[in-house]
Formats: sequence, structure tokens, C-alpha cells
Amino acid sequence: MLELRSVSLQRDDNEIIKNLSAVFRDGHVYAVLGNNGVGKSTLAYIIMGLESYRNYSGSVVFNGQAIDDFTVSERAKLGITLGWQEPCRFDGITVKEYLTLGGKRELSSERIAEVLDIVGLPKDYLFRAVDSTLSGGERKRIELASVILLDPKVVVLDEPDSGIDLMSTSMINRVFDALSDNGTTLIVITHREEIASMAEEAYLMCGGNMIKNGDPEEIIAYYRTACDDCRHVNEPLKKVN
Amino acid sequence: MALATKYEREFKLISDAYERSGGDASKFLNKDIVSVIVSGDKLIGRNTVEGVDLRFRQIEDGVEMWIEIRDNVKLKQPIHLCTGFMKEKGRQMILIHNRCGRNSEVRFLSHCVFPHGLEFLHKMVADTEVGENSKLSYEDVHFHSDAGGVSVEAIYNTVLHKGAEFGNYFNLTQGRVGKLRVKMVVDLQEDSSAQIESKVYERADDDVHITEELNLNGERASGLARTVVFATDKSKAMIINRAYGNAPYTRAHIECKEIIKGDGVNVGTVPVLFVRDEKAELTHEASIGRVNLRQLETLMAKGLNEDEATEMIIQGLLR
Repeated sequence: MLELRSVSLQRDDNEIIKNLSAVFRDGHVYAVLGNNGVGKSTLAYIIMGLESYRNYSGSVVFNGQAIDDFTVSERAKLGITLGWQEPCRFDGITVKEYLTLGGKRELSSERIAEVLDIVGLPKDYLFRAVDSTLSGGERKRIELASVILLDPKVVVLDEPDSGIDLMSTSMINRVFDALSDNGTTLIVITHREEIASMAEEAYLMCGGNMIKNGDPEEIIAYYRTACDDCRHVNEPLKKVN
Repeated sequence: MALATKYEREFKLISDAYERSGGDASKFLNKDIVSVIVSGDKLIGRNTVEGVDLRFRQIEDGVEMWIEIRDNVKLKQPIHLCTGFMKEKGRQMILIHNRCGRNSEVRFLSHCVFPHGLEFLHKMVADTEVGENSKLSYEDVHFHSDAGGVSVEAIYNTVLHKGAEFGNYFNLTQGRVGKLRVKMVVDLQEDSSAQIESKVYERADDDVHITEELNLNGERASGLARTVVFATDKSKAMIINRAYGNAPYTRAHIECKEIIKGDGVNVGTVPVLFVRDEKAELTHEASIGRVNLRQLETLMAKGLNEDEATEMIIQGLLR
């Protein structure tokens, strides 16, 4: 189980995350829904422990252990990973090297081909470089494939559909299924209702805090009415179970 | 391959070092491939094919060679050059004159292997002329000892005639660099194009100075000069990339990326652009800094530690 306990993060005079608490149970699929700029990606980076986001207050607790002092690598070794909204380019590194981490992960060709198929890419992509010759959408698919191949315990997927055409919602569904079937806890950061509706439970984020959680359909209905024309009238959740 | 019997042992030593540097020594014994092997100051093996003329002479501490590719010759296999020095101390001078005729295509694959150098100086000057509408690329891969006692001075002077295409790639990423001076100068005539590139991985107190220069003298000539240096420990590097737009519609981009790791590194870069024609267009890009944090954290979030992630990123950049 991954818990965020009263997490806050301040940048200059701006409090980006405000006393935020949330609970993500093992093997469940969560959506964190919210408009642009409410702090969703910041939340993803705090969970992953990125260098520029480690000065938060409060606590990130994984399976009962506070991991606030853990580096990105240490959190990854616990089984936590991040699917980036805009994956980096890597000059000179092939897709195969990226997926196998330069050969450090032993993966069968069959397994790699199977996962590439899930994200809708043919096998011949393995020998292409993860550089500017790939489109943003192609890099995004490769990023999702790499996340599946890691067999993580918890993955934060930051806007998994960004850069991918709208017709590919079924591909996103296949990615969620592949991770869920493996028992992975999914935390899906999104501002799209269609993506949030794929979750089992949803949090609604606004102004650096979780303001509501529960059934995705209810959260989406609320989001549609209260957040499209947001006036920040919402109160943060007092307690998250 | 004409190989004198007395050099068989030397050939074996060179071949082994060549293979360790990433080369395929079996190519030297293939009669359909142009190859030249120099050990110290001796030419120990050579082979050529129709359309390529080779001449050699022994000079003080080295070998001077003339490689002429006639008009309309398109070689499917690269010309393999291997220059080695198997002793710990000494000096080697290599002078190369490459001349490529019109409408020809050729690729050079040169490996310089100095696996035991403790106090060794290798000087090389390659003068290359590429004829009209010909394509020539010259890839130079160095493999040095881990002792850091190798000094290399490599000068490449190239003239491209109308419509010629040229690539010059220098790579020293295995073993210690030692002291390295590289100078690449390309003069480009009308409609010709060049890509010149150096990639170096520095360790300990290695010392590197690289100059890359494009002289765009003919209309519509274009070029790219690129340097990538990974400097660690107490290494030094100074990179100068220059481009001169001397004719209308010439275009060039110069780029230097120096990635540093360690408190003791001392690196610098100077981009120089000169335009002497209002229709020329030159651009530059230079950066010095740590490995890109975003790339590093991407790989660390997949389970690599910082050193492993750095190495993977750097090896990709230096390819």
C-alpha cells in the first residue's frame, strides 16, 4: 500500500501541494483527475522522489515504511516507477537497450514482442534509436512498454494518453489490463474523463489538494459540473481512508 | 593481402588489438577488400582491388602513403586501415594522401591501436581530396592503453569539389585518451556537403584539444561540425568549432556538447561563426554540464543507479 500523509511542497512563495493525503491500495487502479496546473504531475514526481521534488513535508509511506529519504533508484528498487508524460529522447540508445536497460534486465524476445504488441508497435522498432527520429507518440508507447516490462508494484502513469491519438484509448486499456493482471497498483494522472473512467477509484485534485474521492463515475460527474468552470469553491478532503 | 612472413607475429599482435578495438581483422585477409596495415614504422600488409591505387614509402619513424580512387569507382566494402604500435615507448608518423576521383563512392575505416603505450607519440596528417559528385567518409577509431601515456596529434585537411559529400568521424572512447590534439579542416566548394564529428571519453588527467573547421567557399555548400566529449575526474578539454560562410546560400551548424562528471574537470568550448556573404546562414549550439537530469532520472526510475544510468546515457551519446 502506498500512502501520502499530509504532503506539502512549496516553490518560492507558491504552495504547489497543500497538506495532501491519499491512500493507494495494492493491485487497484486509481485515477487522479484534475485540470491542468492543479499539481498532478508534481504529485507524481513526489511519489517517485525526483531530486527537485524531495524537499516536501509530510510523508510518503510504502508498505508501512516511510521512504522520504529514498532516492529515485531506491524507490525504483522497491518496485515504484513512473511513466513519464513526455518521455525523454536518448541519442544512440536503441529501443531494445532502453527496454532491457542496456542488457541489465534479461527479457525474452517473446516477452518483449508481446509487450510491444500491447502498445501497438511492431518488433522492428527494437532496432530504432529512442531519439528525435521517433515521434512523441511513438516514444510514449515505448515508455508504456518499458513500464510493463519492469513488472512494478506501483506505477504512476502521468497522462498516459498524451501524444497518442484519440483512437488509441483501447491501447491504453490494454496497458492498464497488462499491469493490473500482474497485480500492479496503478495511479493514473489524467485530465481526461475517458481515461479516468477506466479506473476502479478516482481522486479529484484541485489547487494542490485532493478534494474528493470515490467511484470514478461520480467523480467524473462532479468534475464535469464543478471543474470545467472552476472557481476553487471546493474544500480539501478532511480525511482519506 | 601481401604479408611478409617475417611480419606474421606482428600481424597477429596488431590483429588482436584491432579486434579488441571493435574491428574485424578477417577483413585484412580478404582479397576483395582494400586494406593497409602499418606497425610502428613498417608497412606489414596491404591489399588492393581494381580502381584503387596504393603507394607507400618509409619515412623517419613512420610511413607515408598515397591512396587513389579512380573516377567512377564505387567500393561496396570499406577500405580498412590499421595503424598500430605494440611497444611502450616511441614515436610514429603517418602521412596519408587520399585522392578520390569523380563520381566515386568510398568509405574508409581506420583503426589506430596503441594498447601498450606508456610514452608514445602518434602523429598523423591525412590530406584528402574528394572529386566532383563523389562520396567519401573517413571513420577513425582509436584504442589506447589504460596507462594514459599515449599522445596523439591528428590533422585532417580535406577539399571537397563541386557536389562532393564527405564525412569525417573521430572516435576515442575506449581506454585512456592521454593527450589528444585533433584538427579537422574542410574546404567546401559549390554544392558540396560535409559532416565532421569527434567523440571522446576522458578519464583521469586526460587532456583534449579539438578544432573543427568548415570553410564554405562555394555556393550552396553545407556542413555540420559536431563534438561530444564526456570529461570525468581531472580531465581537461578545449573544443573549438568554426564555420565560415563565404558564399551565397551556404549553411552550416556547429555543435559542441561537453558532459562533465567530477569536481576536478576543466573544460571549455568556443564556437566561432563568420559570415562573409549576406545570404549565408550559420548556427551554433553549445552546452557544458552534467548529464541531463531528466534522462538520468528516467533511467533511475527504472531501477538503474546513478552511475549505471550515466554510463548508459554517455555510451549512447558517444556512439
